[in-house]
Amino acid sequence: MACEMACGYHRDDGFALLSSCIMVTRGREKRDYSAVVLKEAENLVIARPEGLEIRRIGAAAEETGADQSKGDASAKPLLLRQPCDLCNDREEGPLCLQFCPVNAISMD
Amino acid sequence: MEYLSTNKIAIVDLANSKVSDQELDEDLVKEKMGGAGITTALYEQYQNEDPIVLGTGLLTGTLAPASALGVITAKSPLTGKVCHAPFTLYAGLELKYSGFDYVVIKGKSQKPVYLWMHDGVADISNAKDVWGKDVWTSTDTIRELMGDQLIQVLTIGKAGEFESDFAQVCINYWASGDRWGFGKLFGQKKLKGVALRGMSLLEVSDAEGFVQQCKELLSALKAGAFAGKKGIAELSVAIGEEDIQKWIAPLVHRHESCFNTPFPTNTFVFLDEDPGLLKESEKNEPGFLVTDIYSLLGFKKLGLSAADACALLRECARYGIDALAVAELSQKAGKKKPDEIKKSFSSLKGPLENIGKGKFSPWSPNFGLPANEWERRQAVAYIFGIHPIFAMMAPELSEEKLVELANIGTGLGFTSETLNKVIADIAK
Repeated sequence: MACEMACGYHRDDGFALLSSCIMVTRGREKRDYSAVVLKEAENLVIARPEGLEIRRIGAAAEETGADQSKGDASAKPLLLRQPCDLCNDREEGPLCLQFCPVNAISMD
Repeated sequence: MEYLSTNKIAIVDLANSKVSDQELDEDLVKEKMGGAGITTALYEQYQNEDPIVLGTGLLTGTLAPASALGVITAKSPLTGKVCHAPFTLYAGLELKYSGFDYVVIKGKSQKPVYLWMHDGVADISNAKDVWGKDVWTSTDTIRELMGDQLIQVLTIGKAGEFESDFAQVCINYWASGDRWGFGKLFGQKKLKGVALRGMSLLEVSDAEGFVQQCKELLSALKAGAFAGKKGIAELSVAIGEEDIQKWIAPLVHRHESCFNTPFPTNTFVFLDEDPGLLKESEKNEPGFLVTDIYSLLGFKKLGLSAADACALLRECARYGIDALAVAELSQKAGKKKPDEIKKSFSSLKGPLENIGKGKFSPWSPNFGLPANEWERRQAVAYIFGIHPIFAMMAPELSEEKLVELANIGTGLGFTSETLNKVIADIAK
């Protein structure tokens, strides 16, 4: 969530979540299941406990057969947001990495 | 109030089902800063109408480390004093982003209702679909009705509806730091809960300066004393309850942080699933998020197994009752079997010894600090909106640093004298 806020700041120069291109999915709270989803120009990068997955944008639903009506409410808007630019105007690199309070994000 | 704020206070009158809003006066912020400083002022302003005041801290919902805190201020049915309880996880954040910094809930409704706060709108909604339901079903139902699984729900269960002294305002499915019986106040007002969600934008006075300062604070915190530690068991060790680590370890699935909080103060235990599972469980409700150290310890001291203790915590959260009160009163009554403890929820009565003596919920441990220093540190956390347990663990978040950060973010000229005066006002 702090990563979303940091990304939102990079986009809006204020604190907001709506324009972030990274998102922590936390809709299935009773299962304690979450993932970090990042929108790239052509891909969705999904990092979950069981590993990393790259899905082509647009083909994601068809490939997985997922029932989109049961996804997080903000899952669809993520596809409409700007892709990650790795905070290319910032010397210190992506803000999401710097602000993740529990060091859950890394970059190769 | 221009910065770090949505500039709105909702005034909700349940007696006549009317909602109005007013601007958050910058002079009020200059005088009372935020969080418990302003909820206390609002409580005093409306005290003849028996209000419950919800609020956010000056820094809640920002990149300031641990800025997860929301505050409930009301008169405790247990102590008769005006007290403050925390709400964490993502609820503090969502209150601010719902478009309101503060909410005053006054009067009593004729019929059960819940408050739906979203995108700058506060709706009083009919609670016919959730009244009579437990906390878990209520949260599920509200989220399904609104079509958004990320809504944060402050809700009561049956304990609140039956106006138990020990009724708790829960957060989503989990226990909260409400150790004051505020759930009873919700029940008396026929207020089932408050649902929070929004997409506001908070402007910052000196945005780059604020972000830089947050980054430096976070770096210092990550190198601090708690680095590499996590979860409810580590917190228990820090308060001298080492046994708990081995006791609960076989159930631990993972740990969970509240919004932007570097130490995960919550631990998810799997009760009906293999705790070693590293993919999504096929079960809808495989376990429970332990958010409260003292109630876990309370059940452990009854001689229960970790699995029985956590299962009872889950039952308490479903019923919406303070599990620490359940543990203490069960101990006094000599009840040690989970079934008989569960059956006693509806008839639970009696004075408590483990009750807060000050203004702030004793949900947060003192980690060995003297009472007056604990109370001051809590006051600081509740004013700025810092997670109150993490605030005790993080000397890096000093009063000076927080005042400085608030000044960069708001452009207002707070001083240590301002903070001292607000703390003194809250303590009155």
